[in-house]
Amino acid sequence: MPAPKDRTRTKRNVFVKAPGGRVSVHRKRFRPNKPQCAECGAELKGVIRGTPCQVAKTSKTQRRPERPYGGVLCSRCTRKKILESVRK
Amino acid sequence: MKVGDVCVKLAGRDAGKKCVIVSIEKDGFVMIDGATRRRKCNPRHLEPLNIAVKLKANASHDEVVGVLVAEGVEVVTKKTINTKEKKEKSAKIQKKRTKK
Repeated sequence: MPAPKDRTRTKRNVFVKAPGGRVSVHRKRFRPNKPQCAECGAELKGVIRGTPCQVAKTSKTQRRPERPYGGVLCSRCTRKKILESVRK
Repeated sequence: MKVGDVCVKLAGRDAGKKCVIVSIEKDGFVMIDGATRRRKCNPRHLEPLNIAVKLKANASHDEVVGVLVAEGVEVVTKKTINTKEKKEKSAKIQKKRTKK
């Protein structure tokens, strides 16, 4: 019987091979969905994908691109937005 | 593109900031300065505005900032935020440390 904390559907099974050849089952949290562009829905590059704990452990510069709208819009949509504002 | 053209940067950390072309490199890149960092840049990553400014080639950062401010372009960079005061402060702190 798994421990009470592991009796949930929000965790996945990870099979880990121990040094003695025994295979033990670890229960780990699912990773969240891939980050998407708010405008076009494309997959965002350079944005960390992990559980909130893993994300919090990384530095802020490693979490998203260092550009305006970084981590929210993709680079194409950012460029479009800037161009629109400039050409007005 | 020529020296003195005011542009907006489209890509990277300085995206959306205004800059001036300071010089044109031989390899097809241009040197930019202004609200952005002073650095080499691909002209594809620049959108020219219909403003041109009188500038010598390879003008210094202070000259560029002066011209841009006169043109009505806001320039806020780390360099413009009282570097002298910062230096004095850090010097004071170091003096205190050495005394202890």
